[in-house]
Amino acid sequence: MTKYVGRRLVQAAFVLWLAVTLAFAGLQLTPGDPAQALLAASGATPEQVAERRAQLGLDDPLPHQYARYLWNLARGDLGQSWLHGRPVGQMIWEQLPATVELAVAATMVGIVLGLALGILAALRRSTWLDTVTTAVSVVGLSTPTYWSGLVAILLFSLYLRWLPATGEGDLRHLILPALVLGFALSGSIARLVRARVVEVMEEPYVLAARARGLPSWRVLLVHVLRPALPAALTVVALQLGFLLGGAVVTESVFARRGLGKLAVEAILWRDLPVVQGVVVVGALAYVLVNLTADLMQTWLIPRLQEELT
Amino acid sequence: MRRFVIALASLSMLLAGCCTPTKAPVRIVYGLTLAPTGIDPHINASSELGIPLTSVYDTLVYLDPDTGDFVPGLAKDWEVSDDEMGYTFYLRDDVTFHDTTPFDAEAVRFNLERITSPDLASQKARFMLGSYERTEVVDEYTVRIHLSEPFAPLLDSLSQVYLGMASPTAVQKWGDEYQLHQVGTGPFIFAEYVPQDHLLLRRNPDYAWGPSVYRHATAQVGEIEFRFFTDPATRSPALETEGADIMGEIPPQDASRLAESDAFRIEATPIPGVSLMFFLNTTRAPLDDVRVRQALLYGTDRQAIISAIFRDTSPVAYGPLTENTFGYEPAVQGYYAYDPFQATALLDAAGWTDTDGDSIRDKEGKPLMLDMVLMGWGYMPEVGQLLAAQWSELGIGVNTSPPVSYPEALEVASEGRHHLIPFNLSGSDPDILRKFFHSQAGFNWSKVNDVEIDGWLETAARTSDRNERESLYSQVQLRVMDQALVIPIRDYTNLNGINDRVQGLRFDAQGWFPWLIDVTVEPK
Repeated sequence: MTKYVGRRLVQAAFVLWLAVTLAFAGLQLTPGDPAQALLAASGATPEQVAERRAQLGLDDPLPHQYARYLWNLARGDLGQSWLHGRPVGQMIWEQLPATVELAVAATMVGIVLGLALGILAALRRSTWLDTVTTAVSVVGLSTPTYWSGLVAILLFSLYLRWLPATGEGDLRHLILPALVLGFALSGSIARLVRARVVEVMEEPYVLAARARGLPSWRVLLVHVLRPALPAALTVVALQLGFLLGGAVVTESVFARRGLGKLAVEAILWRDLPVVQGVVVVGALAYVLVNLTADLMQTWLIPRLQEELT
Repeated sequence: MRRFVIALASLSMLLAGCCTPTKAPVRIVYGLTLAPTGIDPHINASSELGIPLTSVYDTLVYLDPDTGDFVPGLAKDWEVSDDEMGYTFYLRDDVTFHDTTPFDAEAVRFNLERITSPDLASQKARFMLGSYERTEVVDEYTVRIHLSEPFAPLLDSLSQVYLGMASPTAVQKWGDEYQLHQVGTGPFIFAEYVPQDHLLLRRNPDYAWGPSVYRHATAQVGEIEFRFFTDPATRSPALETEGADIMGEIPPQDASRLAESDAFRIEATPIPGVSLMFFLNTTRAPLDDVRVRQALLYGTDRQAIISAIFRDTSPVAYGPLTENTFGYEPAVQGYYAYDPFQATALLDAAGWTDTDGDSIRDKEGKPLMLDMVLMGWGYMPEVGQLLAAQWSELGIGVNTSPPVSYPEALEVASEGRHHLIPFNLSGSDPDILRKFFHSQAGFNWSKVNDVEIDGWLETAARTSDRNERESLYSQVQLRVMDQALVIPIRDYTNLNGINDRVQGLRFDAQGWFPWLIDVTVEPK
């Protein structure tokens, strides 16, 4: 088990390095000069732009820039935003709570909705209920959150006036964005859960449990749901990227703050330190969540534990 | 978690029937359209930052939008030396910053030195000071700015929030986090800022040194909360659900609907500066031929664009400056009225005819195709598509790019890989033309290299005589249109959606920045 965790940690470090390196390379390849973007509208002379380029260290040879970048990261120094003129770590720290709040709320909505839809479809397999729930999950899976977000605002805020359309503050502000993002997430969970439950229902031990006359809710909870849960868990962990990416759109539709918005702005302005900071934090979150999900899998599926030790 | 606890607490208070009405300050919500890219006016360049911060900082002078004259602000009076390289300001002696630091000549010097220090890496303020050399403290309330050569736009610059006066104590105390703790002398106090979420201003009860352009002595509203609505589609719903009381940049199609409602109104504010226009790359064939450029202008039905895309909410632009900018030359309105026949004749004369019958003109085997580079904001893609459609009837083909980012647009245009590229920029001083039509300018996207234009622009930037400047800028505008360097489309107009219980929203000479001190609100 320890060996397994150790191996996963080494993998995690490799993934982190890969992510930050790709971010560095990606921004090198995108057209546009950050110094010019910062100063062009002010009427700066070409010499003044060149001066700023040098100040930002953009004139140094690439390997030099890359080494300096890795070295600063290793020291935990995310640097200063070129655009904002503020410490990147601080900027990320401000946006993190809003992003985590939305991601957690959306995940909860997604799991509950996804499990419900998936189990319902599996239990009533090949009936109209299955068709309807499957259709709902496909809609969730394929509807862009930009569109569903605006529809939700029109319906619940503008016409029914139940919930505030935009902004942040109390739980009421969180409901709509969490539902919209959670609904999108539930689609893929539902499909996997349905497949898994259908599979498990055919297992001899489930048939045996039912034959023994155990109440059907017990069979469902203990014998079916437990094996089906890891499937949902894996999807959630894998969808973390989607949660952060989809959150960009959700954040802007609902006028919320968040890491996604910060990242988009930074990319548009070639604000390298901020892009790198967000990538590091995102990659770290991804690695941690997936590591946790894997460890929980081994706990939920005892068979895996034996295989690993 | 804390929010949750607060929600629970307020809920239990409600349930307990605890309803003693506390007299809360009147608060309004002001919707901004961009989360500003940094909000320190000395460092950052976003025009969005000026909307709240114009009321946090006072400036040495103010520009009266009605008369075009500069009026006293933190400076009671000022003198310009004969060589126009020394500006002496006599300061008020009764002003204190929100943190009780007194305002004096030393504070002015501190601010100007901060702005011009290379370490601050100012993106705008430093350049607004032009040929600034140093600041001399003459006595406690007298300060002199020395220039290395005359710089006519100096007073205009000093009237803007970017050169607003910040508390030296606060700047030193907060260092690189000063942005979150800004302290000025203005009618509103910077109370709270959570980046990308909201910014809160609170009324300054001690304000007693407002300029004559303000109508009230102190602010009439207790608190103003700014929120960010980056997505245009969400702006009018936010206004209608009362998520905001004032909202900038309402999309034109929503504006007409809002204007008809009883609860809201639209106030259109013209923005001075350079109109939305397409720059024609005069160094790239076939646009190196002035006849082809003129044909494009004659072949453009601007009124149709204004009607279709802007729903007649902004005026047609005829020249590089918008009509409400100082120095605007009205004669440009006589140029290039829509005339497709004239356009056809010019193209024929330039040798471009459709010889192969593919409905695109050609010359020496080359089709008349133009590369149009478009950015994703400000309705540039929509205008570009409509232009392409209008010109296709004249036998001109257009390749429109997918929307590019600002840094990419800068790169493409500076390398001259475009035929056409649009832009607009706001500013109250016509010196803004120097950024676009001087041969060395960063935005010289027409690739113009005209010694006379360079000379007029340079002289006008050094001349303080208003009549002389006016005539120099008039020559520039006429030359730009004679040479068909640009296709002006519209004068930029900001459509503000306002809840009817809010009154008195007025804007400064820049058009972007509200004088929030005069905003009044009726109770709900």
